[in-house]
Parts: sequence; C-alpha cells; structure tokens
Amino acid sequence: MREELEIFLTFFRLGLISFGGGMANLPEMARVLTARGWVTPREFADGFALGQFVPGPNMLAVVFYGLKAGGLGGTLAALLGMFLPGATGAALLVHVREWMARARWSRALRRALVPIGMGLSFSVLLTLIQMGLDSLGSLLLVGLSAFLIYRGKGILPVLLAGAVLGLLLPGV
Amino acid sequence: MRVPWPKLLGAFLYVGFTAFGGGGTAHLYQLVVVRRGWLSEREFLEAAALCRILPGPVFANLAAHLGTRLGGIPGGVAALIGVLFPGASLMLALSLAYFHLGTQPGSSAAEALRGIMASAIGLILATTLHQARIGLDSPKAVALALWVFVTYGLFHWPLPMVLLSAVPVGVAFYWRESR
Repeated sequence: MREELEIFLTFFRLGLISFGGGMANLPEMARVLTARGWVTPREFADGFALGQFVPGPNMLAVVFYGLKAGGLGGTLAALLGMFLPGATGAALLVHVREWMARARWSRALRRALVPIGMGLSFSVLLTLIQMGLDSLGSLLLVGLSAFLIYRGKGILPVLLAGAVLGLLLPGV
Repeated sequence: MRVPWPKLLGAFLYVGFTAFGGGGTAHLYQLVVVRRGWLSEREFLEAAALCRILPGPVFANLAAHLGTRLGGIPGGVAALIGVLFPGASLMLALSLAYFHLGTQPGSSAAEALRGIMASAIGLILATTLHQARIGLDSPKAVALALWVFVTYGLFHWPLPMVLLSAVPVGVAFYWRESR
C-alpha cells in the first residue's frame, strides 16, 4: 500500500503540473521516473512508443510506467494520479465556465499558452530524441515519418511502417 | 440538455475505442456536436478552449467536462472512464507483453519498437511544425516559446519553475489584445 501511495503521489504531482497539453510534462516525467529507478531511459522511450499505439490520450503511457514501478496496483495508482487533477478541474469548470469565458485574464492566459505550449513541445522532442534515437538510420526514419504525416498520411499506417522498417533493418 | 449516464458511458466508450492518433478533441467534437447534437458548435469550442488551461491531457479533461455538463457528476465519471478504459486496457496488455517478451536487446520486438519510436518522434515533429505555423505568429510568441525551450529543454529547469517564469510574462504580453 505504501508503494502504491508513493506512485500515486508522484504521478499526481506530475498530473498537477502538466500544463500546456498532454505531453508537456514528458521531460519532467522522464527525469523523475528514471531518478527513482522505476524505469531505465530505454524503457521510458519504449513505453512512450507503445503509448502511441493505443486509442485515447497519449499519456496512457503511464500505464506502462505504473506497471513497471508497482504491478497492477501501481498501474491504477499512476492512472488516477495522472488523470484526476485535470478531470476534477474540468468537472468544476461546469459551474464557472460562463464567468471564465468572459474573464479577461483567462482570454490572455489562453493566448499565452499557445507559444508556451510550442516551447514545451520542442522540449518534448529534444528529450525523446535524446532518449529514443541512437543511430543515423533512426534519424532518417524520424524525418521520413514527419514528412509523411505532415503531408496528411494516416498516423497508424506510418507507425506500423516504422515497426516493419525497424524489423527489416535491425541495428539501423 | 440532460443525458443519462449509461448513455454517456456508451457514447464515450465508442470514442475511447476509436480515437487513435492523439486527435481526441476532433473525435469528441464529432460525437457531441455532429452525431448527437448535445451541444452547439460554439458551446463546444468554448469548452475546449477552457479545458486547455487545466493541467493534464486536453482530451481527458474535455471528456470529463462534457460528461459532467450533460449528466452531472455520474456523467463526468462515466465519460472519463469511457475515454480511458479501452486504451488503458490495451496499453496494459502491450506493457505485460513487453515486460515478458520484449526486453532483450536485439530481439525482434525491440527492433520493431525502435522503428515505432522513430516514427512516433516524427509524428510529434510533424504536429509541432503544423502548430508552429499558427502558434508562432509574432516576435513575442517566438520569444516566449524560445524562453520555455531554453529553460525546460536545454537547462532542465523543473516544469513548475518554467511555468512560473513564463505564464505571468505571457499573460502580460497578451493582456492588451484580450479585452
């Protein structure tokens, strides 16, 4: 129970500070989880990659991290910790939404969060490249996938093609 | 509009099963506005914008908000479970498979994952570049984004410190035009 509580509190803190979109807290999460010894950098990157394959929020990768840290109890603790803060706030928003939509500070905040979110996204990219890429071939695959998706190709086919290329060209 | 929670659970489970690729807001829009007509387009867009200023994934926040609005607290819980349960179950199955089969370096599962990882980074790169065309539309926006990237991405400041340093400046930047 102590272990589950520790996992819950860790992910609750990460959930509480994850402003600016779903993955903004990824670099912070990578630092915290690897420092606690719950996952290796390789496992962190692999868990993130698996998370891209399931429907729903990308942050479902926390299922992977919670499972490694504390089994099934850890999975549930990580899920609750990550999703409860925002969901509770969103439910409370029902009562104040009209006032919020009019408030000048909330309009300014929503605008400011766009460029701040961009800075967070570029930080996420840097962290993922540092943790998940180890060869020139992978870097080329990143460029190719980005190009295809940017041109409007489907996400799932591109991810599957990445898996096949990884299988066909081991060590690339 | 008041919707009973079992109906909400069914509808949001459908979204949870089918929302691949991170475009959760678009899927919720299709469900709530286009298919069911539970909210007007304007109401939906306002709700989505407000859910952005909360911590956590916008997709899950928006589902909880819409569910609560349409069906009270039981509706909010049903909507959140609906969008999370399918993906979380699949993720659990994949994770169990990974820890039992795929941890040896050089195994074919590990090689496939390396390929997926590279493609996933490509996906985020493409999304970020798309958004940058709209999001980085002024020198102050570029300065703000650069500040966040340097402190968070390069200098590894803790995220709360990054936000405490950037959010007040950002609000001040946009105060005048947010009348």
